[in-house]
Amino acid sequence: MDKSIEELHELLKANKVTSKELIQESLQKSHEVQDKYNAFVTILDDAKETNVTDNLLSGIPFGIKDNYSTKDILSTGSSNTLKDYVPFFNATAVQKLLDAGAVPVNKTVLDEFGMGGTGTTGHTGIVKNPWDTTRMCAGSSAGSACAVAAGVYPYALGSDTGDSIRKPAAYCGIVGYKPTYGMISRYGLFPFASSLDHCGVLTRSVKDAAIVVDTMKGIDEHDMTTWDSSDIHLYESLNGNVEGKKLCYIKELCDIEAYENPTEELKSHLENFKKSLEICKEAGIIVEEVSVDKKLLDALPSVYVAISCAEATSNMSNLTGIIFGPRGEGKNVTEMMMDHRTKGFSPLIKRRFVIGSYILQKENQERYFKNAQRVRRLLVDTWKELFKSYDAVILPVGSGPAKHLDGSKDILTKDTAALEEHLQVGNFGGFPSITIPDGFINNLPVALNITGNCYDDANVLNIAYAIESKMNYKNQIAGGVSHE
Amino acid sequence: MPKFTKELVDDLAAKLLIGLSEEENQMVLDEFAIIDEELSKVDSFPNIKNVEPMTHALDDFTFTLREDEAKDSIPIEDALRNCDKTEGREVEVPKVVGGEN
Repeated sequence: MDKSIEELHELLKANKVTSKELIQESLQKSHEVQDKYNAFVTILDDAKETNVTDNLLSGIPFGIKDNYSTKDILSTGSSNTLKDYVPFFNATAVQKLLDAGAVPVNKTVLDEFGMGGTGTTGHTGIVKNPWDTTRMCAGSSAGSACAVAAGVYPYALGSDTGDSIRKPAAYCGIVGYKPTYGMISRYGLFPFASSLDHCGVLTRSVKDAAIVVDTMKGIDEHDMTTWDSSDIHLYESLNGNVEGKKLCYIKELCDIEAYENPTEELKSHLENFKKSLEICKEAGIIVEEVSVDKKLLDALPSVYVAISCAEATSNMSNLTGIIFGPRGEGKNVTEMMMDHRTKGFSPLIKRRFVIGSYILQKENQERYFKNAQRVRRLLVDTWKELFKSYDAVILPVGSGPAKHLDGSKDILTKDTAALEEHLQVGNFGGFPSITIPDGFINNLPVALNITGNCYDDANVLNIAYAIESKMNYKNQIAGGVSHE
Repeated sequence: MPKFTKELVDDLAAKLLIGLSEEENQMVLDEFAIIDEELSKVDSFPNIKNVEPMTHALDDFTFTLREDEAKDSIPIEDALRNCDKTEGREVEVPKVVGGEN
């Protein structure tokens, strides 16, 4: 299970291993990982082998984030409000993988309904980082990132509303890719903030990400925001030829002088990023520094919270415990719903709903919601202007390696730097965006991100593929440092 | 515009059918203070009111309405399978009209 999809496929085709053996190994590894890191809501011990065909994914196990609907399989969104919920249909993205012969072996833990960035708010408890159990995986696709990094299988599904695929990938030393908005159907994905939600995948290499998304993508009559991507072939487009491609990085985020009291980890992270830029140049890529209005960057985290909270408040009004979910106690329907929601939601979700509700009040919409949407456009226009001159924007992910679990409150604070949250622009604009590992700090992985213009996924992935091939962090498995 | 106070937080939470502890209420106020501060700066952005609010990720988003043809709907058993209290084809709830509401 530490091999790439291509390698596993070749072994299967050559009868050197069977699908059944791969699944058994993946299930065994799932239980080990569960004991150590708490990455799963459900382990599918009765998973069955499939026929090996010419499809690269056939017979190979994978993981599914627990906010994807899976037919006859518990799907909780890592929330007590859906702790027993069993869908009667598969999410389109899941169904496409099943049709390809892929075999799901577990459902992975997320921050409740995807509304968090720490991997600590799921109803089954915190997910620990497989590189160091005192550190977080980030979120919300925490279990998926943990399991792929720990070598349970070559890939797991994630979803990304702010950076929920790309940040956990960084903290776990793997690849995280969310394609252009609407390339993968969201039908069957539990909605968080519909204008920002993306499906995607976590893998250990860019090529594996291309293979999986080629299968997941496609127009879907059940999701009217999907578009026809049949002329995009990500896997076939990976040729590593990047001579003359142009990348830019943003001075205000990458210059250590921009930070008043930088930590040693931040210094190391930005120094490491500069080294990565040199590797890009050696690969024939033109890399240039650009400047972006600091006021816009500083507004980014609050704009994200305002828009995502407002959309989430509306999306999750159907969680009442009446039609589905555990029935609350009370002598009338209102009391029942109140009991269900008060007991079911974590504190993080509750406060985001209240903020979202306040922002949506008629008298507040102009000041908060509309202004947030205006800044969203200014940020997206700024990035689109960059894409006129550059193939993509390259930036470091976060302010360093995985944060300690102690003190992970997932609260928006004044100290929240734009550096931590800039990946949200990828959601604002629906841009294809991929994170790849680019080094280690204190024996913990760090990463860079490449974000390009809408529909330019093949170009973005090819650039990431070329950079990855010049580094030594492809297909890495977490060694694991236990502090227990 | 009403000031964002503890009482207002409790009022909004009640409308959302969510109960908040004292600690949770304070967390809302703390987090919102930051959002308020940051978004209040937006008003000073040049020509901000002339910017069209961006409501969707894709500006070139188009869709076509499907033909108005009846399609199969889901079996009632599937629709009710995650409901804790049912009676036949219906969801069971305490009496609403003339009940204890």
